[in-house]
Amino acid sequence: MKPPHRYSGANAAGGLRHWRSLDELSDTPEFRQWLEREFPENASDWLDAERDGLGRRRFLSLMGASLALAGFAGCSLRSREKIVPYVAQPEEIVPGRPLYYATAMPLRGYGRGIIVETQMGRPVKIEGNPAHPDSLGATDAVMQAAVLELWNPDRSQTPMFQGGISDWGQFESELLAVMAKMSAADGEGMAILTEASTSPTLQRQRAAWLAKFPKARWYWGGGGSPIPKLPPAGADFGKADLIVSIGCDIFADQPGSLRFTRQFAKRRRVENGRVNPNRLYVLESTPTITGSMADHRLAAPPDRIAAVLRWANGRGDEVLDPAEQTFARNLAADLAAHRANSIVIAGETEPDQIRSLAESMGAGKNSQSLPEDELATLCGDLAGGHVQNLFILGGNPAYNSPAALGFADHLRKATFTVHLGHYYDETSRQCRWHLPQTHFLEEWSDILASGGTPTIIQPVIDPLYAGKSIHEVLSLLTGTFRPSGYDIVRATWGASGKGDFGTFWDQSVHDGIVAGAPPAAAPGARAAGDAVATPAPSGAPAIPPPALTPGADYLLIRPDPAVGDGRWADNGWLQEMPKPMTKLTWDNAAILSPAMARRHGLGTGDMIDLHAGGRSVRAPVMVLPGQADRCVTVHLGYGRTVAGKVGSNRGFSAYPLQDAHSPWCLAGLEIRKAEGTYELATTQHHFSMEGRDIVRVAGVDEFRANPEFAAPKLPHPPSLLPAAPPLHHHATYAWGLTVDLSTCTGCAACVIACQAENNIPYVGKEQVAAGREMHWIRIDRYFEGAPENPAMLNQPVLCMHCENAPCEVVCPVAATVHNDEGLNTMIYNRCVGTRYCSNNCPYKVRRFNFLEYSPPPDSAEAQGENPNVTVRRRGVMEKCTYCVQRINLSRIAAELDNRRIRDGEIQTACQQACPAEAIVFGNLLDPGSRVSRRKKEPVNYGLLTELNTRPRTTYLARIRNPFSTKESA
Amino acid sequence: MAEESAGTPKGVQRDAISTRLPQVFLPRANLFYRAFLLAIPFGALVGGYTWYRLCRSPDITEVRMPIGQPVMFSHRHHVGDLKIDCRYCHTSAEKSSFAGVPSTQICMSCHSQLFTDSPLLEPVRESAAAGRPIAWNRVHNLPDYVYFNHSIHVNKGVGCTTCHGAVNEMPLMMKTQTLFMEWCLQCHRDPARTQRPDSEIYSVSWEPGPKQGETGAALALKHHLDSEHLTNCSVCHR
Repeated sequence: MKPPHRYSGANAAGGLRHWRSLDELSDTPEFRQWLEREFPENASDWLDAERDGLGRRRFLSLMGASLALAGFAGCSLRSREKIVPYVAQPEEIVPGRPLYYATAMPLRGYGRGIIVETQMGRPVKIEGNPAHPDSLGATDAVMQAAVLELWNPDRSQTPMFQGGISDWGQFESELLAVMAKMSAADGEGMAILTEASTSPTLQRQRAAWLAKFPKARWYWGGGGSPIPKLPPAGADFGKADLIVSIGCDIFADQPGSLRFTRQFAKRRRVENGRVNPNRLYVLESTPTITGSMADHRLAAPPDRIAAVLRWANGRGDEVLDPAEQTFARNLAADLAAHRANSIVIAGETEPDQIRSLAESMGAGKNSQSLPEDELATLCGDLAGGHVQNLFILGGNPAYNSPAALGFADHLRKATFTVHLGHYYDETSRQCRWHLPQTHFLEEWSDILASGGTPTIIQPVIDPLYAGKSIHEVLSLLTGTFRPSGYDIVRATWGASGKGDFGTFWDQSVHDGIVAGAPPAAAPGARAAGDAVATPAPSGAPAIPPPALTPGADYLLIRPDPAVGDGRWADNGWLQEMPKPMTKLTWDNAAILSPAMARRHGLGTGDMIDLHAGGRSVRAPVMVLPGQADRCVTVHLGYGRTVAGKVGSNRGFSAYPLQDAHSPWCLAGLEIRKAEGTYELATTQHHFSMEGRDIVRVAGVDEFRANPEFAAPKLPHPPSLLPAAPPLHHHATYAWGLTVDLSTCTGCAACVIACQAENNIPYVGKEQVAAGREMHWIRIDRYFEGAPENPAMLNQPVLCMHCENAPCEVVCPVAATVHNDEGLNTMIYNRCVGTRYCSNNCPYKVRRFNFLEYSPPPDSAEAQGENPNVTVRRRGVMEKCTYCVQRINLSRIAAELDNRRIRDGEIQTACQQACPAEAIVFGNLLDPGSRVSRRKKEPVNYGLLTELNTRPRTTYLARIRNPFSTKESA
Repeated sequence: MAEESAGTPKGVQRDAISTRLPQVFLPRANLFYRAFLLAIPFGALVGGYTWYRLCRSPDITEVRMPIGQPVMFSHRHHVGDLKIDCRYCHTSAEKSSFAGVPSTQICMSCHSQLFTDSPLLEPVRESAAAGRPIAWNRVHNLPDYVYFNHSIHVNKGVGCTTCHGAVNEMPLMMKTQTLFMEWCLQCHRDPARTQRPDSEIYSVSWEPGPKQGETGAALALKHHLDSEHLTNCSVCHR
């Protein structure tokens, strides 16, 4: 095991302008090792050798035996492949061509419109629905990963009765007896717990159920993420001149994040050499991608955030340190100048004092259309014996609720407990019955966007297992047996009194959005306000929020950027996605600032005990620049015990630390060093490019004075590569790509989109730690300035498709060659795995299959693979292809119509997913194409062009808009 | 190591050992050895040639080896005698990568009226009645890393019989070409040699004429075929 990295503080001031980690800044030996080797030491060794008892000798003897037996293996005949046509072919299916369906993905109660690609009936890829206001054609990482969730073989497949396999018939017969009793008692003692949702059908069914059982209770709640608070309707992050985010991850965590990113990017993009950026202030305690986009960012603990806000508001007699003072003075001046055209937004996880301060700064009040979490009330009612029959429809509250509530213990007091869920999880195991729930790609439902636009969720595949949707189960609970989800959802919309319902329905389902207002039964504003019979909370009396004690240490709890509140813990793509700011995979950690770590003598990988509110949890430390001093951030979603093969027993659970009344921020944290160390698999050093001038950034004033700051016309040093490679002048297309660093938020949607499109496997924590991750696109995170309060930058790096490709000249078998359109292509069936190409790539974008990572062809996960991309085997090199399969399919489509490929017709997977439209791909031989115009911008530059590699992928330098004193004068 | 090999065993005379050694090799041993040395290159040549021939033998390539099917379907009868167009059954050849194998329903569109009691058609009737598809044996099978697209070939002057042979003479379907990459490249390097007019794509009787060189080149130009592009690896491998 590697020793924990310790930040010595050396070299912090001088040297690098941009750095990726504290190790790089202080140039530790560990960092040199990552830097100088193509793959880390022992990367090609058998990692599990010791565990498996497979030493070198045993390996050699096994190899010898298998070599001797290989001759026999050659004698077997290949089994003949079968072609199995339909009995009656559906009209719309053309074998070999995809079909697309519009639907929506529910996320934290709201829907994001998506378009699902199915190949011969199998959903394989999710894209955003351009017509949907919360998607606009973009997706985030979680939406991209939903396909893997569908095909996950760990999903619950059958009803379970007290831990044994059962079926729906047995459940229904027991339910009948219970319902008969309940009908007589008007539902006294019966309750439903479900996660808050804007689904109109769910609201309608709720009203019907409560009408039938007037004394029954309905509780919303049970999710581990905060209830979204929406910015005022009409808030446009592109039109506002001033945006102030107070601990709010505008670009990642909001139901409208994709739209906000799109709006913001429009304002920050350099177009035709000009830009008129707005200004983003971010005041936060823990680094977020919004913070990385800030023009001014201040990392401060909650009490200091409140002090800075009071000062900026002109109400405080606070004493601020110099950094805080600069920030507060700039903010106050900007607020005075732009108050009319500003957005001040505070995160849901911020303490109430800070939220109300933000509101007093001229921020419109953020609205909340979802009801408050009522899990605490339910716990009180269970304890009081008011609930005997409890139906938990969706969610996993036994895991993802504050352990202080003791939900799992209270649950045992109910006699008849039923859990409907996607997995046989922590909650299921506490219940009498577990029922499998359908995935959203398998069911009929409906949901609203954050702005109120409804979408009808349609199934794109029949349920793979014996699942039923929440609507079908609710229908069972109101006495309709064998209900169909289709009829239930149609009934909701049929009541809306549209003229020709058939046409209306077909159009709405086809478009993925419903024109006009949702039906009357839908929750226009508040869903909980119209409670039919929910009694007043019988829980504890309201407790005032804890004070923001000055000088205290704070514990901050946040949903994980990848696995959320734990619901995506069994998704390998999300587990392995390097988390946007920490670059951590497969784990969570206690995140400390460098100063705090130094005070306590801690380094990354040390174990500590976190004590807060009388509770304690042991966690590994991660030292992260940009983290506010005196704050320890822990992410939820880990420490699952029964998540599945991928998600179980990873990291630690932060729910035991969570306070029921102040779940996101606790003052009075104590940390104590504990025994042992822990290896965290971060990708922050992997594929580093040695401090060269990779990421370029300037203030808007500097840009206006010298628009070509990023690409100075300097004579290049001599290169071994030819001056200009022979161009294929007869070719019609020359593909190229640009990445705009001014708009890229580093959200990692492209990473997962690429993974889904190109059948990239996930490899597991041990393999990531050995530098074997397979992502074709990585997002390098750079810090700038002092480690205490750095600015942050993100740079996606993919294959540069160099015209003078250094990888090609070293391949002994010509497995990587250029095509006439400028793609550096990788021919898997030729590759013998020498890895010379990777060694010779200055951008470190090539990935090697050290082991057989891809799922076996007959596994459920393999059903979700893209049939248009080769599945790579062990011993093969791979890398970004510019989505050559999309190029080829578009070319064939264009050639069939006897025309050229139109600009914008081909979108690479990363480009299509990007909410900021930061990635542009197209034909460089067409001077009018978008990519050609992007490349003509003065801020366009290539990486390591001094090597004369002539990369086809180029970058547009980042333009910041810091406050300048000229403006205030 | 170095110290051990440098010294000699103590107390033993070197000369004494060498004189006592028996003759293990017969005088003929050198001959065997020379013959063996000669046999190595010869064996490599023979082995290489055998391997080369074996890979191209019908046992491996299945060329002209009819493949049995669950239904003894005859292309000779349906195409040769009845002159049914290819696209009647292979419905997606013009618009998709996959030409399409007919659904049971397509078989039954005729055979619900014709030969309704033929025992040969029992599997088809059974499939239609039970709703269970027929599992045909694949005859033309490309490796999974090759992405062949029917639509672009039939729309760009490559006829069915160019690759599939004279199916109108085959009682049972068989390959007539190896489907090796060298075979694919013959046309991708020189598309003109097999280009035919758009009207003749589905013809089973079309043969290249004496002026194929000229007409083919003209057609290749019309179809935007450029051998430099067509020989890119990424055209077929992705």
